Formats: sequence, C-alpha cells, structure tokens
Amino acid sequence: MNKHIESITQAVQAKFSVVAVTPVRDDQAALDVKPGELHAVLSFVKAQGFRQLSMLTCVDWIQDGEFQLVYLLFDWDKGVRLQVRTRIDRKHPTFTTVTNIYPGVQYYERDVHEFFGVEFEGNEMSFKQLFLENWDDIPPMRKDFNSKAYSDKKFPVREYHKDFSKEGDGK
Amino acid sequence: MKQVKLFLGPQHPGMHGNSSIHMYVEGDIIKRSYLLPGMLHRGFEKTMENRTWMNNIGIIPRICVPEPDPNEMVFASNVETLANIEVPERAHWIRMLILELARLAAHLMAFGGCGGPTGLYTAMYWAQADRDGILTLFEEITGQRIYHMYIVIGGVRKDLPKGIEKKILAYVDDLERRLPDYEDLLLNNPTIIARTKDQIMLPAEVVWELGVTGIGMRSSTGKAYDIRKVAPYARYDKVEFDVPTANYSDAYTRIRFKWLEMHQIIRIIRQVLVMMPEGKVREKGLDGNALRWQVPKGQVYTAIESSRGEFGYYTVSDGGINPYRVAVRGASFPQGLLGVERYLPGHRIDDAALWFDTMGICSPEIDR
Repeated sequence: MNKHIESITQAVQAKFSVVAVTPVRDDQAALDVKPGELHAVLSFVKAQGFRQLSMLTCVDWIQDGEFQLVYLLFDWDKGVRLQVRTRIDRKHPTFTTVTNIYPGVQYYERDVHEFFGVEFEGNEMSFKQLFLENWDDIPPMRKDFNSKAYSDKKFPVREYHKDFSKEGDGK
Repeated sequence: MKQVKLFLGPQHPGMHGNSSIHMYVEGDIIKRSYLLPGMLHRGFEKTMENRTWMNNIGIIPRICVPEPDPNEMVFASNVETLANIEVPERAHWIRMLILELARLAAHLMAFGGCGGPTGLYTAMYWAQADRDGILTLFEEITGQRIYHMYIVIGGVRKDLPKGIEKKILAYVDDLERRLPDYEDLLLNNPTIIARTKDQIMLPAEVVWELGVTGIGMRSSTGKAYDIRKVAPYARYDKVEFDVPTANYSDAYTRIRFKWLEMHQIIRIIRQVLVMMPEGKVREKGLDGNALRWQVPKGQVYTAIESSRGEFGYYTVSDGGINPYRVAVRGASFPQGLLGVERYLPGHRIDDAALWFDTMGICSPEIDR
C-alpha cells in the first residue's frame, strides 16, 4: 500500500470500527465495514477526496447466507482506489440508499435490485425493471438461479420432423 | 402544447447500438427522457461464472464492440493481481500498442460518427475507411479483425509478426498526414460549428454528480484526469504524451478532443515501437492445464482508460476454476442512464443523437 492509501485507511480505522482492512495492490485497499456504519464511512472518505463512485456491485455469498455490497471509490487527484464493502442478510436483503452521498449511484442500485433482489430504501426508482423485461423468476445473478434450467423451462426443445418442408428437399 | 411520446432508436442512424431513448416531446423540445436498455442483454456476467478463467477470454471482448481490447486488459490484470503473475516486459509494450491502436479505431469511429446525426456522411465514410486499415493491422497481429482475444492472462497470446512495425508506421504516417483534412471537413465546417458550438453543455458539477469520466470529464474540469496519467498501468509512465484539457465542455470541444487525442495516440505508438524491448511475451504463471487453472482467492478491481473513460472489471475468485463473480463497469453507464434521464431534457430532438455521440455511449457495455 502506498502512503495515500495507508493514511486514508488509518483515518477510517481511527474513526470507525472497521471489521477488516485488506491490501489489494499498491494503490488499492478494501475496507469491510458494518452495515450501520457504511453511510458514515462513505461520507467521510468522500470528504477526504474520493469524489467518484466508480461502481456499486453485489456478490452473492450463498454459503454464508449473505450478500456483499461493494462500493468502488476513486480519488482522481491521488490515483488511489478504495473498495468499501459490507455484508447484509441474504433472506431479508434490504439496505438504505446512498443517493444522498453519491447521486450517480441511482442506476447501479437499480441494477443490483434487478439482478440480486436487494431493495434500496429511499430510492424509489430502484424497484422498477430496467434490463429484463417481464422477468418471472428469482433475480438471475443469485447463485441459486440456474440459467440452463430456466432456459429449458422457458424455451422447450422443439421437435423437428423429417418431412418438415416438402418443397425444400428438391423432390 | 400537447406532449407526444417518441422513441429514438434502436433503428436510427444516429443511435448508438441496440438501445432506445423513450422521450416525451413538446414541439421539438424533449421534456422527459429515459434510456431503454436491455435489447442487447446477453447475461455476460452470469455466463462468465459458468466458464473457466481461460474460456472467458473468448466472450469478454464482446462486451464492447467498437473497442474490445480494454475488456481483455482488465480481465487479465485482475487475474494477474490475484495470482501474483509478473508480466514480461515486452508484453507490457505490446499491450500498450494494441490498446492504443484500439483507441485510435474507436476514436475514428466516434469522430466520424458525428457525421451521422449532422448529415455529413462523408466524415463517416472517411473514418470507417481509415478504421479498416487498423482492423487489417489487427488481423495480421492477432488473426482477428474485431474481437482479438490477444491480451491473455500472463501477457499476450503471440509475439508480433515480423515486419509489422513498418506497416504500423506506414499506417500512422498516412493517417497523420490526413488529420488536417479531417479538421477541415468536420472541425472547420460552418455547419458543424453551428450545430455543436455552445450546444449540449456538460458542466463540471454534472460530471461529479453522475460520475462521468473520459473526455467529458477532462473537457469540463480542466484537469488531466486520465487513468494513464493518474494511476499508470502497463508502461504508460515511460512514454511521453499530453492530455488535452478544457474548462468549457460543449459538443464541439468534445469532438475536437477526439481529434487532438488521435495525435497523441500516434505519438505514443511511435514511441512504443522504438522503446519496445525484445524477449518473452507470455508468462505461464498458473499451474497445470489452462482449462483447469485455479486462481487464488481474492476480490480486485482494475480500471483502465478506454476511449470513453474509466472501464473496469471487479473480479471475485473463491479459489475455483471458474470466476465467482465478474462485474463490469462500463464507461458510459452513468451518462447513458442517469445522464439521459436528468440532462437530456431541454434539448431538441435532433440534438439527442449528437448528445449520445459526444458523450461516448456504447450500449453493449451498459447491458452486458
């Protein structure tokens, strides 16, 4: 970890009860925080220069029964990156929106809601469908969703007959 | 005046790929608008979870059609970080060459693409013809014209063919000689100036609000916010190039920046060809058969500067032979979705296509 990333992780650790700090590479570190503290941590690091939220994404840890929300932040002046991560219960996946801190997150929350079923309170837009029209199954990026089984159910195997086209075989 | 519901795209010469803008217009002023993505959704992220690390190299370039190489680069860098693989020196330089050629092709396509919505089809034909020259170079280097699958885990797939340096130099010399013609055709053209000067503004506060990167960010904040400069990858810290910046981002500035950046790309390519050392181009790194590679546990995000801005992958490995999760950050996600909803209203219908072109929207990377 270089000196910028070290100073920011130390500052966050001094102020909040961070669960774990993982160095990823020279200019990147991951902070695991409690769900209740995530908004405070995001506001704090934003004031320290992490003005851009590159992406919000989600990882389904089905074995642990948890969803992990990952907020990827970038500081354009120092060129360092932070992963701020938190874990929420998989059975009741509800979290509070961060649109008041990073307004650009709105569609990422919508994306995570659509593909993982995590609900973001305070972001009404996030409950609408965006990519998948008339989706009728569990959210598809969850680990217990089987694409092959869904495809087989949705698009049954067609039967082709030998005499399907009488004109086409040249007789 | 009565509001009319109108769809722009997906079949429209000015529309960028398979998405549509759902808009409500009064007269020819857009009052409300939303992007309708999803027409190109092929479930890449889910598919990648079911394929091995090496297999995935075949599908990732398809996430962005006009500029596929950043996909390969970020995927390979992520795995190299997780597995702690040292890439050979020559491979870094070849990667830079490939990425810059791809950026040049994408810039040509977008720069000439401004001819579509403005009715100046000549620009489009010129740019497509020049882009074809790059595709021919790619064909010779990688065997493929559009999707190269060339930057792989541990380096690049094969060394450069003999004599390609001369062909690349001949190509860039020829293109550089004709860049002033492009300037005369598009940037000094009174019609284009009237359509784009002081139109379709992108203020700096909007950039920060949405998270816009790339040319949009550099043309409005006045700072060299380019990942190649801010957090250099490959060997971008060893070559000299300038990043054009401005404090006033109208459509004209953003089109002009593409033209200015083309000069810098040519400058980088010339330096790379001189400074590239000899040696190995690929490090195996992981043990065993490539189809049974197991990548150590970890979660990493890598982003590089594509022609449209920050392009990155977030990769999670649980130590298995498949990725546990791969999330794609498309460079045009913020301006393509939230930008269309908040900042397209107020413009005229005919500006919408130009808005899309100068913001650098690529719908496959929104859908992924």
